[in-house]
Order: sequence, then C-alpha cells, then structure tokens
Amino acid sequence: MNAQAKRAPVAAAVLSILVAAAILWPLVAFDGPWPRELGAYLESRGLEESGARNLVSAIYLGYRAYDTLGETIVLLVAVSGAIGMIAAAGTTLAIDYSYPAKDGAVDGGEAEKPIRRKAKKNRTDLIEVVTGKLGPVVLLFGFYVMLFGHVSPGGGFQGGVVVASGIVFLALGSKGKPGGGLSSASTLAKLEAAGFAALIAGGFLGLASGTGFFAPPLAGTSPLGFIIALNTVIGLKVGAGIGFLCVAMLGEADYD
Amino acid sequence: MIDRIIVGLIFLVGLWGLIGKRNLIKKVFGLSIINAAVVILFIMEGGKAGSSAPILEPGVRDIVDPVPQALMLTAIVIGVCVTALALAMAYRLYKATGSFDIDEVRERLDDGHR
Repeated sequence: MNAQAKRAPVAAAVLSILVAAAILWPLVAFDGPWPRELGAYLESRGLEESGARNLVSAIYLGYRAYDTLGETIVLLVAVSGAIGMIAAAGTTLAIDYSYPAKDGAVDGGEAEKPIRRKAKKNRTDLIEVVTGKLGPVVLLFGFYVMLFGHVSPGGGFQGGVVVASGIVFLALGSKGKPGGGLSSASTLAKLEAAGFAALIAGGFLGLASGTGFFAPPLAGTSPLGFIIALNTVIGLKVGAGIGFLCVAMLGEADYD
Repeated sequence: MIDRIIVGLIFLVGLWGLIGKRNLIKKVFGLSIINAAVVILFIMEGGKAGSSAPILEPGVRDIVDPVPQALMLTAIVIGVCVTALALAMAYRLYKATGSFDIDEVRERLDDGHR
C-alpha cells in the first residue's frame, strides 16, 4: 500500500504533464493566417441583415440565437444546482468537528456531535452605506448596458451581470434585514423563471408566424426590435439568476 | 508567437493550481484561470484580423473578427457557472467534513462510511 501510494503521485504528474503538452502543443506548432472570410462577410452584410450595429449582438441574437438558448439553459442548470447544494447544506457553519483518531479507533459517543453556529457576517457600516447608495446607480447602468447592447459594447449577458452586481449591492446594503424588495430570493427566482419562459416564448413566436425557430416573427422587416427584446429578456434572466446565486452565497436567501 | 507562449503559461498556472494544490478553493481558482487563458487566446487570435472594434458606426473600417468574441461571450458565462457550481460543491464538502483539504476530505468521508 505504501509503495502504491508513493508511485501514484509520480504517475499522476507524468500523466498531467503529457496531457498539458498535448493540449498546448498546437498553440506553438501551427501558425497560419486567420481566416477573414466570415469577418469580411459580417462587416459588409451584418448591419443590413440583422439591424444591429454591434456585430457580436448580431451573431448571438440574430444569426445564432438558438445557441444562446442552450447557453441560458446551462446557466439555469448551474444556478439551480448551486442553489440546491447551498440550500441542502444550509448556511450555518459547523466548527469544532471531532473526528475519530486516524488509526481508525472509533470510540463513538456524543462528543462527536459537531457544534454549529450561524455564519458570521462580515459587515461594517461603511459597506452598508456605500453599497446601499450605489446599488440603484449600478442597476441603472446595468439596464443601460442591456438595452443599448445592439448599438454599443454590451448586451444581455453583460448588462445582466451588471444588474446582478446591483442586486448584490442592494442585498449588502439592506442593513441586516435579509431579502427586501429586489434582493429577496423569491422575487429573483420568479424573475429568472419568467425570463426563461419569455425567451422560449420568443423562440416559438417565430415558429408560429412561419419564419422559423428564433427567427424574427415579422418577415420582411428589420429584426432589430427582436434583438432588443431578446437582449432585455436575457439580461433580466441572467441578472436574476446570478443575483440569486450571490444572494444565496451571502447566506441571506430564505428559499421560499 | 511570444503572446501565445504567455497565454500557454497562464494556462499552465491554472493547471498547476487545479492539480497541484490540495485546497479545494485553490482548485476552483485554477479552473477559473484556465478559463481566462482560453478566453484570452481566442480574443487575441481573433483580434489579429483587424484593428477596430466590431461595432459598425459610420466610417468604421477593418474590424476584428466578431465570431470569436461571440463564442467567448458564451465561454465566459459558462465559466461563471462552472465556478459557482464548483464553489457550491466545495462548500458542501466543507459542511460534511469540516475541511477544504482534499486529502482530509477523502479520509473523513471514508471514515464516515466505515
């Protein structure tokens, strides 16, 4: 057992070096010119076809909105999994565990019951005042980034993350009262679910009007309005999801 | 070439954190650094195709390739998801065993099953 325990790290180290070399080798081995055809096509036709000046928005909401649906599903699953694990584990910290001795002598008894205490909140008045005042401003900036994502740097995901920061600020600045208003866990969960339902509905809207899944529902017009609507929905969904996650990690959620 | 080597070194730092550290939180850091290295690589390579941002204001010429940027937008969001899920798992293991050290976690979980 001892020899095996000594050999295992060496084998693991060799294996990991080999894997790292295999992954990093193409990085230095191939150096061709970057293919320019797609970028040139998007530069000449992207604005006309999608209506969005920001070509990144044009790609992920105009040309490839279906991929964005998959991405939001991954986000939803990850948030659900993390929330589930945090909720199951609770937000009290266990300290002073007493474990059996390492040689395996299990003596049993009530002394092994862990002592639990409430997670300590690292709060100061300074943080509460600053974050409470800054929260609405950050929320406003988040909605700006979200709604102007088609003409300027930004979009639903970026704006959503800024909105989530605003929600965290509001939660931190709530003077110890857990979960008031927008930073309450139940509101955020409902907002996330509503955002996801609206995204799916937006996808089927095009199907109902005969243009295709996640295609702009009104054929022949500029799809810009559809991109703005999707940006807003995705922004709300991402903001609520990540905000919910952060509020849960702060230990303030009530999981209703 | 030197830029790619630097990105590769950032990737290796993350890999070292992932497999060389015993602390679960540091492993999550390593995962995050690997994600950042991949994002930097794609944005850097796509950025070699042009000089201005892919936002078609009037008069903008010679934009960078927007396709890697759209792809990395996805990768950043997935990276955040992976980090959050990994941190939740680490928290759960800490709650169950009282330690972030991977060896101690394994030992105590084994003890619990005996």
